[in-house]
Order: sequence, then structure tokens, then C-alpha cells
Amino acid sequence: MAGSADLHEPGFALHVEDLTVRYGSSIALWDIDLDVPPGRLVAIVGPNGSGKSTLLKSVMGLLRPVAGHIRIFGEPISRARSRVAYVHQRAEVDWDFPATVLEVVTMGLYRRIGWLRPVRKAHRQAALEALAEVGMEAFATRQIGQLSGGQQQRVFIARALIQQADLVLLDEPLAGVDAVSEDIILSLLRSLRDRGKSVVVVHHDLSTVRRRFDWMVLLNRRLIAQGEMRDVYTPANLKAAYGGQMAVFDAADADDPARSGRVGGQV
Amino acid sequence: MPMLVDLLGSQIVRTVMLGAALVGAVSGMVGVFAVLRRQSLLSDTISHAALPGVCLGFLLAGERDLTTIMLVALLTAMAAALSVLAIGRLTPLKTDAQLGIVLSVYFAVGVVLLSHIQAQGGGARAGITTFLFGQAAALSAQDLWVLGGVFAVATLFFVVLWKEIKLATFDPIAAAALGLPVRALELGLTVLLALTIVAGIQLVGVVLMVAVLIAPAVAARQWIGNLGAMTILAMGIGGLVGAGGALLSATGRGLATGPIVVLLASAVVLVSILAAPRRGVVWQALSAQLQRWRISGDRVLLAMDRLAAAHHDPDYPSEKGMLDTMLGRPLPGVMRRLEGQGLVRPVVHDPESSPHWVLTPAGRRRAEALRRTGHGPD
Repeated sequence: MAGSADLHEPGFALHVEDLTVRYGSSIALWDIDLDVPPGRLVAIVGPNGSGKSTLLKSVMGLLRPVAGHIRIFGEPISRARSRVAYVHQRAEVDWDFPATVLEVVTMGLYRRIGWLRPVRKAHRQAALEALAEVGMEAFATRQIGQLSGGQQQRVFIARALIQQADLVLLDEPLAGVDAVSEDIILSLLRSLRDRGKSVVVVHHDLSTVRRRFDWMVLLNRRLIAQGEMRDVYTPANLKAAYGGQMAVFDAADADDPARSGRVGGQV
Repeated sequence: MPMLVDLLGSQIVRTVMLGAALVGAVSGMVGVFAVLRRQSLLSDTISHAALPGVCLGFLLAGERDLTTIMLVALLTAMAAALSVLAIGRLTPLKTDAQLGIVLSVYFAVGVVLLSHIQAQGGGARAGITTFLFGQAAALSAQDLWVLGGVFAVATLFFVVLWKEIKLATFDPIAAAALGLPVRALELGLTVLLALTIVAGIQLVGVVLMVAVLIAPAVAARQWIGNLGAMTILAMGIGGLVGAGGALLSATGRGLATGPIVVLLASAVVLVSILAAPRRGVVWQALSAQLQRWRISGDRVLLAMDRLAAAHHDPDYPSEKGMLDTMLGRPLPGVMRRLEGQGLVRPVVHDPESSPHWVLTPAGRRRAEALRRTGHGPD
């Protein structure tokens, strides 16, 4: 039914236009225009409260914006759910819930399985494969309450992988995870990108963003800048997003504008 | 004992026990989700808010007609749930304050109505107070059909929507992101919660109904880490304490059923919290103690290993006072435990009379592994 005539900006994995979101009387996002081309590893960066998570929740249709529209590969979220997967912050669930790792990963298939149909062996097999991709297959029968933070995050990512989406949104997947999990997650995100998927990550750490991502969206309630990392990661843009409160440095980047005094980066 | 057997033979007692078992089982089933969705206090509010409905239903029917009473009670119970929602939307009040306000206002209205009905006098009217603390003996055979109907509706609801409810309970954000109708599922669960409460108050009473919902789920969670099995166990616990409480209250004259059921359920919870493997208090304390023993045992082995190295004698007998000084007094039982594991061996070191130990070959191996890796080989 979705003929190409219905599509709006189908060339972008994600297209956001005039998006404004309000919580009560405070404005979380103001007039955002955003385009993410396919096959990119995108970082959404901005200070605390800059609307990064709100942006992802709006894309998933979990919040009702007061203005604007969003398209995923040219379609509204209601018609694109099978093409997009979302990994929300892991602190947003109670990990004491009685379930195994495998059970949680198969939850990613619940929509595809459909109403009234049970989870079958093939679904569990797919979940095991997704767990193998995040190095967690040995934990399949473990209670989720026994996992470390990094392992929880990998389980959530496996639940997204199993959906085989073309666009994957992740909210702070590297926050509070151990080094092993971080390496596994990062290489997985890169391999998704290399397979032509689009990966959009809310990232809190300015000091590592340049090495890890190739496209950047800089946000502070308004859109500050978007585009190729080298074009966006500039002193002027960072200052516009973070103001004078920047305290970042990147040991691997000697010429990092974030640490050269020009940004006004008082530590 | 003969009295109990007589009681079991009575048709009335069997009716009452079956009704109480049905109420307990359905409460266990629905309560699992109330607990996991952190709605214990909402359940208590809904239950207290059923009282004005009970009284209005009584006034409407003019007698103690369970169907009418339940329908009107369901209405006021749902109205209370919606009131909580509305206060949350319209005011900055936190959840506990929202629940406290709604619970007390609805319950106050209920008590006013109750006093009004009682003031009118009449034998049947006095029976209305049993809805406060429950009276299983008041249950009739027709009432069983109503309770059975509620049980059937709840079972059907969970069987048909099982995996969707599971996801919406564990992770409503992911459920919504997948496109599941989370709001509708939550509404369904809340209506079912109210229906279960309303079905249970004749037996348990509005004041204590929440315990019958919560206790079986809490107890079951202690033993089981699988949602389906936990639900079935909660149903079993609920059914048993319901039937048991009804039987006990039938033996004593005028003994309210609610408190007895709640005491039975609380006993099950207490045992579960204490004795369950892994999550139980006893288990946790034991494993913490084992851990302490292991750590201090490892420190003893390392200290003996260092003493042996310092004296260039792998069989150097370490004296108790020396180990105590190095380690700041090992926990009692540590040396005996190490002996039991074959890691150290007591020796006599003439002419001293104080206790001495040497490392066994196994003890030396473990000490060496500890030195290399910082933790034991196991």
C-alpha cells in the first residue's frame, strides 16, 4: 500500500523536519531539522538535558511532538516499525524481573511472531545467534538479574539485532559498561554500518566521539550542527553546543579542538 | 480434628472453601503482575475504593446480592484508579501522595455510607460490615459461579496475551517501540486487577485484600525465576491459603476470614523470604559467611607461604600467635576449615606448646596460585 508516491525523503535513513517537543511548559527540542544518510555510524552529542534521548523517543513514536514530522526511509514510524530497532537506556527496566537472557532477546521478535502465536524453536535459535554476535551465548539460560551492566547492555543490543532492522537507534549504549563490553559493542556497531545499516547512537563522551563515529549531530535543544565528523567537530560548533562548561580532552587527538584553549574549554 | 472432618463433609464448608480457593488463585495470578508492575499500593487503593461501591450496590439491590454489589464496586474501584491517573496528570503530586489521597477519600465515603446503612437497622443490613474484613461463610452456591467466571476471564486474558503482557510488564518502552498497544494492555491489566479485588472482598474484606494479591506473588518470586512458573506457583499458594483460611474461619464462631487468610499468606511469605535458595535471607547470610571464610583462609595461606619463604623452609611451622598478628586475628573456624580442606596440617613444634601449622602440598599449590593471579584456582 505504501507506494513510492507516498514516500517523503526516502533517500535518508532518518529525516526529521521542524520537530518541536515540549514537556509541560519546558521545551525539550525546538525546530529540529535532521537528515541521516544510510550506512553511517552517527553520534548524537550534546550536554545533559539537550534533548538527545527525547529525539530518539520521538523517532520511535513514544512521545507526541507538538510540531514537525519524522520519516524513516521515507515512511512514518507507524509503517516503518519493522525497519527500525531501538535500544533504550538499560536503567529504564527492572533487571530483577524473572526472565532468562534468551527470553529477553526473543522479545525483539514478539511483534513479528504475532498475536496468539507462541515463541518457537526457530525464534530461540535466532536469539542464540544474536547472543553469539554480542559474545553472550554462554549466558542464554542465565537469569537477567545476575548480569553485570555491560552484559545487560549486550543483551539489549542482541534484542535489537534479532529484529534485523535497517536503522538502529541506541541511547547511551556505552554508559557504565566494562571495557570488554565496550569493545564488543563498538565493533558490532561498526560491522552493522559496514553491512549498510544506519546506526544512530546517543553518546555522552565528547573525548571519544571523533574516533568512534563518522557522522555527528550536535544538539542543545536546537540543532547546532550535523554532518561528516570532520566538518562538525569544530571548536566553534562545540562551543555553540557546550558553551564555556567544556571539560574534555582526547589523548589520542593532539590537535583536538576540544582541548586547545581556543574553545574556551576551562577544565 | 473430628470437628475438621465434620466440617469438610458439610456442603456449605466445601462451597466456602472452593470459593476462597478460587479467589486466592485468581489473586495470585493477577497479583504477580501487580507486584512486578509496582502496583501494590495502587491495589490497596482500588480495594479500599470498592467499599463505597459495595454500599451503593447494597442500597440499589436492597439486599446482599453479590452480582449487583460487585458491579457497582467495580465502578467505584475503576473510578479510583482513574482518579489516581487524573491527579498524576493534573498536579505535581508524587505517586504516594496521589494514592494516599484517593484511598482515604474513597474509603471515607464508603464508611459514611456503611454507617448510614447500619443506622437503618435490620438483620441483613448488619451483614454489610463483613465486607470490611471478609466473611467467607456468607458465600452462597450461586456466588461460586461469579467467582468461577472471574477466574475464567483472568485465565483467558493471560493465556491469550501472555507474551505481550510479559513484554509490557518487563519493558513497556521496548513494547511500545515494537508497536504493541501498551496503553490498552495496561488498561486491561488494571480492569482485571479491579475485578479480582472486587471478587475477593466478600471473603477477605476491603482492608486486607491487598495482602492476598501481593503475598503469593512475593513468596513465589523467592523460589522461581521464570514468569510462567512463578504465576502458577502464586496461584497455588493463593488457592491454598484461601481455602485454608476459609476452613479455619468456619471453625471459629464469627471469626473474620480476611485476617486469617492474610496471616496464613504472611507465614508463607516469611518462610519464603528466609528459606528460599539464592534470594533467601538464610542462603545470603550463609554464602556471605562462606565468602568471608574463603577470603580469610586465603590470607592465612598467603601469610604461611610468606613465612615459609622467609625461613627458606617449605615445611616451616607457623605459630598461631604469629598468624594472628600478621592478619589481625583470623576469623574463628578458619584454621579448622583449612585443615578440613587438606590445605594445612597441625604440627607440634617442641618445646613450644602453642598451636602450629604447616602448609600441605595442596596448600602450597593454592598459595602459589593466589600469589600469581590474586585469586584462587576455583
